[in-house]
Amino acid sequence: MRNPVTAVKQTAARYKTMDARDKKSFWVDAVLNNAIYIILIIFVIYTWTQNSNILSGPSIVNLINLVASNLPMALGIGGCIVLTGTDLSAGRVVGLTAGISAALLQTATAANKFFDSLGEPGLAMVFMALVLALLLGGLVGLVNGFFVAKFQLHPFIVTLATQLIVYGACLMFYMSNGNNGQPISGLSDAYRNFVTGTILPRFGNNGALTIPNYVLYAIIVFAIMWFTWNKTTFGKNMFAVGSNPEAANVSGVNVFFTTMMVHALAGVTYGYAGFIEAARISSNVANTGQNYESDAIAACVIGGVSFVGGTGTVSGVLLGVVLLRIIFVCLTYLSVDQNLQYIIKGAIILLACSIDMRKYLTRK
Amino acid sequence: MKKKLLSLLLAGAMTVGLAACGNGGDTPAETPSDNPDATASDANVAVFYYAYSDAFISSVRSALDTALTGAGIEPQNFDGNSSQTTQNEYITTALANGANILLVNLVDTASIDTANAIIEQADAVGAQVVFFNRAVEGTDQEGVVLNAHENVAFVGTDAPEAGHLQGEMIGNYLVENFDAVDLNGDGQISYAMFMGQVGNVEAIYRTQYSVEDANAILAENGHENALVYFDASNPDMYQADQAGNWSAQAALEYMQTNLSQYSEANGNMIELVICNNDNMAEGAISALQAAGYNTGEEGSTTIPVFGVDATDSAKALIADGYMTGTVEQSATGMANALLGMVQNISAGMTMDEAVAAVAQTDTELYSVSDAVANKLYVAYSAYTG
Repeated sequence: MRNPVTAVKQTAARYKTMDARDKKSFWVDAVLNNAIYIILIIFVIYTWTQNSNILSGPSIVNLINLVASNLPMALGIGGCIVLTGTDLSAGRVVGLTAGISAALLQTATAANKFFDSLGEPGLAMVFMALVLALLLGGLVGLVNGFFVAKFQLHPFIVTLATQLIVYGACLMFYMSNGNNGQPISGLSDAYRNFVTGTILPRFGNNGALTIPNYVLYAIIVFAIMWFTWNKTTFGKNMFAVGSNPEAANVSGVNVFFTTMMVHALAGVTYGYAGFIEAARISSNVANTGQNYESDAIAACVIGGVSFVGGTGTVSGVLLGVVLLRIIFVCLTYLSVDQNLQYIIKGAIILLACSIDMRKYLTRK
Repeated sequence: MKKKLLSLLLAGAMTVGLAACGNGGDTPAETPSDNPDATASDANVAVFYYAYSDAFISSVRSALDTALTGAGIEPQNFDGNSSQTTQNEYITTALANGANILLVNLVDTASIDTANAIIEQADAVGAQVVFFNRAVEGTDQEGVVLNAHENVAFVGTDAPEAGHLQGEMIGNYLVENFDAVDLNGDGQISYAMFMGQVGNVEAIYRTQYSVEDANAILAENGHENALVYFDASNPDMYQADQAGNWSAQAALEYMQTNLSQYSEANGNMIELVICNNDNMAEGAISALQAAGYNTGEEGSTTIPVFGVDATDSAKALIADGYMTGTVEQSATGMANALLGMVQNISAGMTMDEAVAAVAQTDTELYSVSDAVANKLYVAYSAYTG
């Protein structure tokens, strides 16, 4: 990694040697290349002038919580987008794994107990459910990856199909065991404490500044994904396959394996998201998770993971998630009319993406 | 060659699998019913649900499946999956396949044209249509669809009634507990409202009447204009699930964001939460609990939360004191009314007669609309545990 201080010095030296015209384009480029940050800041400042609560402690904690709940999934989908693909099955996998996690981890006395024979789940059971959710998500991802890699099908169509299959399984699951499609809730304290409880000290009035555990887990997931993308052979291979599968194949990269694994890893993040989501929202129905993938895909693209393939960073995905969540929080704080919210959100996504793509267009 | 064989085998296995699914899904059709009043012989019943994923509709579906198979009728079920187009395609296909009694849980309730189009299709082949659960016509246009046709009826609830009942329940609760609910003692109750879906008739009525009726009851008891939306700058006076899913997630995220600037410590706490359904109520409660409210612990404040549907999990929350009230709609009552309709129609009654006969079976639960003789109401009831 370059030393940031030397980097700034080098840029400053280069800037001095430029003529007036280059200097002007230097600043234009700087503004456009950092457009997303600038939009973010303008948006927050505008909201702040209308409602200063936006920068208060509880509001920032709220934003962090919202980001943490969406980030892992977006990181998973990001890998699929690096391979020039996408994943439409994400939301439904979240729904299925959320339902199964919740069903396994209800309290012994829950009114509508799904598995009657299960007692009060302890921490061991919570881990088992987590592992099961990860495996199940990974399995769906593996199936996606297999069909993409083996039959050269576009991930759009493969995941469109698996999305339907998973939704069907999810509906059957909710109707089974006499549950009749009722919401699965009454989750055990062990589970809820594991996810929404906290091991950190509680700050503020009534614990208003408390960071729940799932934020810490999201940081761990972020670190793992950063390491995988940047420091492992698998990560390098993923980018190689994303830029040019033929070239990667010729240079000895196992394209089949890499594609399978990227999708499987994405599936694991959906399984994780389902496990967290079930405890976070605490009442799970067959529709839980529906359309989650659209925000996750938008976040990736805003964050510079290009559909062209082979480009993208983990921190970019984080930025994209943060931007989307800031839009949500700001619009809520501004009490913007509901109909207008759709338009504003759509316009910002479009603007952010097109400004960001400009970087890659000029490079080509 | 080997590959071809393999794919053939695979295809074969899939076909067998599908066939097995088909058999496994329904009770075998050849089992004769031992119900003496079975009138199943020529009734070919197709049921069109608006969405399998809906909790209440799922209860209706399993109750109706049990009721119909018990009477020796094998229903064919179809999932509209929240799309009117999908539902219409299923209806066309089922009619072509010989269905003569359609039980339709409309997806699109905003226009009478949807219902009319379905009725015309059924008319053309002499099939009968019983709409259920979701309204076919607005309250201001009563009879426009149902009075204009011979072969239709409606079994469901009076759309505004859930809102009225919720409002009544909230009003009475507040009159009794006004000082306890009014946390900052300003003589007003600031409430949050979570709407399930923008543009849905039931959601609109519930959003409107729950507040209007509660305010009316409060005014009668000396609290003029006591209910105030917590966010004065929001012209809508509700926060709606943007995906239109009536989801717990939407309510949770709104409530969590609201609670980051409204709290007891700031003296502006949201003192009442009204939700269009129980799922949203559960999401709101989850956010409240994360912020230290409604935990049931010593000294913690409980914010009253009201929903609609009376799902099992909401009833459990009410029993535990985390939630305050909901409005119950009887899934079995709905299913039995539909079974009665199917049997009466098969026995040759006209729609009006069939509706009257079903209403006779339980006068507490069922009533016939005053304006339209082929419209049967299944009563809602308030549920507070």
